Amino acid sequence: MSSESIKVTINGSDYQVEKGARLIDVCRSNGHAVPSFCYYSDLALQASCRTCLVRIEKMPKLQTSCTITCTDGMIVTTESDEIEKARRGMVEFLLANHPLDCPVCDRGGECELQEMVFDWGGLEERFRERKNYAPEKYLSPVVANDPQRCILCKRCTRVCDEWMGEDAIEAGGRGVNTVIGTYGGWLNCSQCGNCIEVCPTGTLLDGTYRHQARPWELEQTITTCTFCSDGCQMSLGSRGGEVMRAVARDRYVNGINGEFLCIKGRFAHPFVNHEERLRTPMIRYRKGGKLIPATWDQALEFAANKLRETADAHGAEAIGVVGSPRITNEANYALLKFANEVVGTSNYTATDRFSLAPFFESLGAGLATHRDIRFAKTIVLVGGEPEELQPLTGKQIRQAVRNGGAKLIVINSRAIRLQQQAAQFIHIRPGAEDAAVLALADERFDELAAKKLGVDASELSTARGTVLDTEGNCIIMFGGELSPAAQSLLAQIPHAASTDKRRFLFHPLPLYNNSVGAHDIGLMGGAHTASSLLGAAGAEIRALYVAGSFLPDHLRGQEEALSKLDLLIVQELFETETTRYADVVLPAASFAETDGTFTNNDGLVQRVRASIPPAHQSKPDWMITAALAQTLGMDFNFQMSASTVFRELAERTTAYNGMRYPLLKDETKPVQAKHAIAPRRDLADEIEALRLSIESLDETAEKIMGTPPVGHELFKPGELTGKVPQFHLLAAGNPKPPDVLISPLYQITIDAGLRRTDEAVAVAGD
Amino acid sequence: MSSERPIQSPGNQFTPNNPLPQEAKLPNEIATFSPEVIAEMDAHIAKYPVRRSAILPLMFIVQRERGGYLDPPGVAFLADKLGVRITDIWEVATFYSMINTEPVGKYHLQVCRTLSCKILGADKITEHCTQKLGIKPGETTEDGIFSLSEVECLGSCGTAPMMQIGFDYYENLTTEKVDGLLERCRGGGMSNGVR
Repeated sequence: MSSESIKVTINGSDYQVEKGARLIDVCRSNGHAVPSFCYYSDLALQASCRTCLVRIEKMPKLQTSCTITCTDGMIVTTESDEIEKARRGMVEFLLANHPLDCPVCDRGGECELQEMVFDWGGLEERFRERKNYAPEKYLSPVVANDPQRCILCKRCTRVCDEWMGEDAIEAGGRGVNTVIGTYGGWLNCSQCGNCIEVCPTGTLLDGTYRHQARPWELEQTITTCTFCSDGCQMSLGSRGGEVMRAVARDRYVNGINGEFLCIKGRFAHPFVNHEERLRTPMIRYRKGGKLIPATWDQALEFAANKLRETADAHGAEAIGVVGSPRITNEANYALLKFANEVVGTSNYTATDRFSLAPFFESLGAGLATHRDIRFAKTIVLVGGEPEELQPLTGKQIRQAVRNGGAKLIVINSRAIRLQQQAAQFIHIRPGAEDAAVLALADERFDELAAKKLGVDASELSTARGTVLDTEGNCIIMFGGELSPAAQSLLAQIPHAASTDKRRFLFHPLPLYNNSVGAHDIGLMGGAHTASSLLGAAGAEIRALYVAGSFLPDHLRGQEEALSKLDLLIVQELFETETTRYADVVLPAASFAETDGTFTNNDGLVQRVRASIPPAHQSKPDWMITAALAQTLGMDFNFQMSASTVFRELAERTTAYNGMRYPLLKDETKPVQAKHAIAPRRDLADEIEALRLSIESLDETAEKIMGTPPVGHELFKPGELTGKVPQFHLLAAGNPKPPDVLISPLYQITIDAGLRRTDEAVAVAGD
Repeated sequence: MSSERPIQSPGNQFTPNNPLPQEAKLPNEIATFSPEVIAEMDAHIAKYPVRRSAILPLMFIVQRERGGYLDPPGVAFLADKLGVRITDIWEVATFYSMINTEPVGKYHLQVCRTLSCKILGADKITEHCTQKLGIKPGETTEDGIFSLSEVECLGSCGTAPMMQIGFDYYENLTTEKVDGLLERCRGGGMSNGVR
């Protein structure tokens, strides 16, 4: 888009606007209200609701401002008797078939149609015809549908197609009989619920929140999602200490994700008020005995005494401190401070799937924001599966390609769904991602890499050529498949390939909401990894203090490790595999009950705000750590305030220097951490190590064929999502109940047979 | 594009015969057609620069071959053949009254109900059919021979009232003419557009 400026006159005032700007946006951004239903920023144009009519001089009729591109000298009127009459007429038509059942509609109170009628509606209805009637029903375990309320703006169908690429919901029939629906009447898709979010009426509704509360009863709290590293901003609606729903409607919150949320963000919040939440601190007085409920004082005293005993008997290094990529920066910082200043041990880590430390050490360019992704020219995706594990990134990639014409290069061992958008898809052998990175970074290794990847060498040079032909932003994304050496190599590519016209940006794809934060705080820089810490349990490690739980991945093959410890202190939301062997269990507050910050994969430090008071006797993680330190005789001086913790954290963490809570308060202007750009490094050792490891790769390994089905990662019932019945239905194949007029949950018994507990549990991001 | 092109994962989509769509790569049941019919379809696809543009001619072929309506295996076949989602097929199929998504009788009487026909007595024609056959619009006789529908304008206003059976128009209708048509249908002497 050119930056040429043109003059537009709206209601007598002159405005200089960018050439190519859309009239409705120009009107709105300059304070001339123009109503609309079907217009939705960054979606295909529909122009079906006809409520955004304006008068443009020299044009014969009233025009829909959503379809008009501004031209020089355009003279526009947005308010006149003629327009008023036209708009009132349109609203009357929209209401011709609308049931006006606002008192029993979940959307009542936050409904765009309702607002439109307040502004433009008539006092009486002139239509006397029978309204179309259709009973309310369910389209899936999480999407409820009331077809008669629909005004056919088709936002849902466009969002489903353009954001999610799924086309699961469409408009069927024609004319007055048009309905929004699906083939077979059952919605089989990733169940993101974005159709619910963008619906301006009560046609598509949240199935988990159906008839639970009215919007005006809810207290809206803007917070950051806890389910993946994208860090979507959302608004938790709570009432009486219970989280009722999570939404991203732009009337409440307007973050990096707009109104986008995925199934987990939108529907997986019921774990917060789940009955299985830990209620009180618990102590196991004798190994092999039961966990006995205790008071906070007793539990902290018990834990402190045992820690002292262990330190006296085996030294401070025998104590390990384990943070979590799921908890806030404040909590992780308190744990690191505990390890360094109270215990004095170097054995600390966080329970992440993979460390980003090599990447950040060699970081050759800044981190991309999600907005950068949307307007990128070239996107290289090495490994990973953003649509399932970082859904917002997946959506941004799709829009960059479809709406922005970006070139996408997918290098993956599986034909992930995004390869349908890709300009080039390099289908490699499983586990060979390192070889692709080596070839991207250094053309000398094309032949070797191509042989090991099972691709043609020309495919690799084509990909490199696309990157080197880019004018504009080139964004490199990578998943957890890369080895540390490959991460370093990838991170250094910008030093060799940046020019004036080409800017490189990175977008790591870690799995957890605060993976980047845990790294920034320094928690990943300890002497051990989570797995090696477990391996050393019972030997040089005698006691562990764990916030959160070890992942099934860490425990696989060393399930007994935790039982060998003299002391295990765990702070958790639920009983898990890790609490099974715990001597002291401390109930922690969930993300909805605590103040703090998460750092997402853009490096944006975003606020988490308490929506409800901590459930039962739970406390925020950083408060527990501070209390334990207090019991051990060390005052952290946090003054019971998360902002104090963050101030200290920001002072001691280079990337966060200068940050304060007041600076982070506005979710529309997120603040990016200042990750240091590493100078050009000599990577000969890494390249040699990579070459050796690549040469040992199996050249005969079978490639994985077939596209993984939609939702295969999203629907896995994990530690938190497993507390939501809907996820069990979806994981069991989303069966359609015989009669979908009643909630599917009433009809399908969630029995043990439906629960998938094998490898499906808690693999990632939940 | 060749017809062996990788399938755009219709396994992710709902198919009525597949209760576990997330597990399956392809619908359990997908319609199969003879090589001649496939060749006919490919000839239509070749006419268009974009593959999915051939959706309407292919729907007519599938409808003809699958007993007069788009059954779920037929829809799954179309989605696969054209590289679109099953919901897209549904969207188009429900838009056109000529495409049936439910089983219909051997002869599908489609009475035009738009303005010219309405003024010249389409209601009477429909009413007469209802009385003769004992079915309301949208229904099928028990013996499976007749279905009756009211459809929007068929573009034959000069000869109103009219109805369509198969691909043929029957115009300037009177109740007597309708009786004759019904007799001819019963006698099997009329084309119904289906083999």
